[in-house]
Amino acid sequence: MEAAVADAFRQEWGRIVAILVRRTGDWDLAEECAQGAFERALEKWPLDGVPDRPGAWLMIVARNLAFDRLRRGMRESAKFKELASLELDQPTYGDPDVVREDGETTRSGVPDERLRLIFTCCHPALALEARVALTLRTLSGLTTAEIARAFLVPEATMAKRLVRAKHKIANAGIPYRVPAGDALAERTSGVLAVLYLLFNEGYSASAGSELVRTNLCDNAIELARILADLMPDESEVKGLLALMHFHRARQDARVDERGDVITLEDQDRARWDRDEIAEGDRWLDAAFSEGSIGSYQLQASIAGEHVRARQASSTDWRAIVNLYDQLLNLTRSPVVALNRAVAVAMCDGPASGLALAERIDASGKLDGYYLLPAVRADLFRRLGQRDDAARAYRDALELVGSEPERRYLEMRLSEVTKGPSLE
Amino acid sequence: MQYLLIHAIEDGIESQDGRAADSLSALNVWLEEVIRLGVDLQGSRLGPASDATTVRVRGGEVLLTDGPFAETKEQVAGYDILECENIDDAVGWAAQHPTAHLGSIEVRPLFGDPPRTILPEPKAMTKRYLLIVCVEEGLQLSPEESRRVGPATEEWVARAEGSGARLYGSRLEAVNTARTVRRGSAQVIVTDGPFAETKEQIAGFDVLECADLDEALDLAAAHPVARFGAMEVRPLWPFDDA
Repeated sequence: MEAAVADAFRQEWGRIVAILVRRTGDWDLAEECAQGAFERALEKWPLDGVPDRPGAWLMIVARNLAFDRLRRGMRESAKFKELASLELDQPTYGDPDVVREDGETTRSGVPDERLRLIFTCCHPALALEARVALTLRTLSGLTTAEIARAFLVPEATMAKRLVRAKHKIANAGIPYRVPAGDALAERTSGVLAVLYLLFNEGYSASAGSELVRTNLCDNAIELARILADLMPDESEVKGLLALMHFHRARQDARVDERGDVITLEDQDRARWDRDEIAEGDRWLDAAFSEGSIGSYQLQASIAGEHVRARQASSTDWRAIVNLYDQLLNLTRSPVVALNRAVAVAMCDGPASGLALAERIDASGKLDGYYLLPAVRADLFRRLGQRDDAARAYRDALELVGSEPERRYLEMRLSEVTKGPSLE
Repeated sequence: MQYLLIHAIEDGIESQDGRAADSLSALNVWLEEVIRLGVDLQGSRLGPASDATTVRVRGGEVLLTDGPFAETKEQVAGYDILECENIDDAVGWAAQHPTAHLGSIEVRPLFGDPPRTILPEPKAMTKRYLLIVCVEEGLQLSPEESRRVGPATEEWVARAEGSGARLYGSRLEAVNTARTVRRGSAQVIVTDGPFAETKEQIAGFDVLECADLDEALDLAAAHPVARFGAMEVRPLWPFDDA
């Protein structure tokens, strides 16, 4: 029974919050009433059984709770009328057997307003960290405490961040809508950036408990799927989904029992998750069938080349360099340029890659980014320039943040400093 | 002459030890007086600095920041437009305003002599915003940019007024004309200069009436000064408690 409620929670939480926010404009009220509806489900369902349409059941309860709250407060009659009209718009709620299957009403029996909610949570006038937190709270239904744990901040700090964001939405007049026209493409990429950040926060196991982190990845994929459902023509949403699945395919193989990083080259490819790879391939094909090419699609294509190679030696580095060329052309990002340098080193030898990395170093565009000295160190090492390698590893160690990455660099450093210098 | 009073106070200081009630009744006394004498043309309290969004356009890209244009201890909390004979009179009125107790009030002459405007009643389904136009002091524009910015701003004003979004606004006299009023326990302290020594200084302002924040942000981004300055978009206080 608890599983049934948990299932309904995953399916319906965001939908219910989205509708209540739309109708009342009150984010706190929406969350509290959605919460109340699930608490009621935990009491009732074990006695009465799971309703045929759990979504419709929960929506009625949540709406009635909102009704009661507003009535008790005897306030804001406009909101009250809005809620009343919810009943008129959706006469089917009371009778789940005759739910309309028109555009608005989905199989859950609850119209899907989540797209508005996603775009509002990811509004660029909110701080990035607030966007992430608000998305997790309102769409995924994570509690403030859970979000605080995932981002390693005190719960009070996270609570304040959420309150401030909701306050700004109301007071500064951030509209509750999906942007139209020219703004849509830009805002969509903003939403995708939030989801990818969420995924990476969970994926790069830099800190925090394993469980919390895996949960973040699952939430990010779940949210991207909702977005893909609601925006079926957006190829970049599919590209992002493909990328996340390819990453997740390698999740278990990328650290050893001690939590140390295993490089792509040394990973046990038998441990890569074939189902995840197939899922990634499916989304990538779907993305390419849209006919446009975006940066997530290209990143997913690169990740796809890696996971399709059965051995590290059979990696098609030429194809990867090619994809990086396109990606660099599109993004002009120095981080992409660095990754391209690594691919070139695999393709044409470490000297060619090093020349590119040195050029990025000279540009100063990646100053302070630990992967730049780490890449240079690695290429020096492959060229046998052990002193240069040691110096660059030390530079990287000064900048590195996560413990596993630090241990990896220290291991390499001791390798190149062992024994007499070759130079 | 018209003068802008910029009220600057520390976030949340009002809610301390009953100051709020004191300052509210003092504010009403002040307002009654300046309105009776026709000195105060318009003014409003602003939403807190945490509701601000700052817009910059660099290399054709619109960059938004959550928060005010500068992280100062005191933040812009309200404004008034006064009609006075000279800046000393304006400073005199500022010294009697309760904000002078709570924080500071910067007094700046408006540039030129814009038409006197009393704001109309708000239209339904709109929100009002103060657009605070900030420019780095002593910033050297390219000859091309300096030639462009004047006419482009006039064009922006004409367009924003035409659409009904811009209700009022003005460029300000240079920051070296600013005087700042603070009131200690016994005496009024008037200093030359702005309320805070920030890199970017307030160079002008516009009062906007928009459907929502997106519309206000679009207008801010379209302003020619956004290409080299910073545009803080701040909602006006939504409740008419004056």
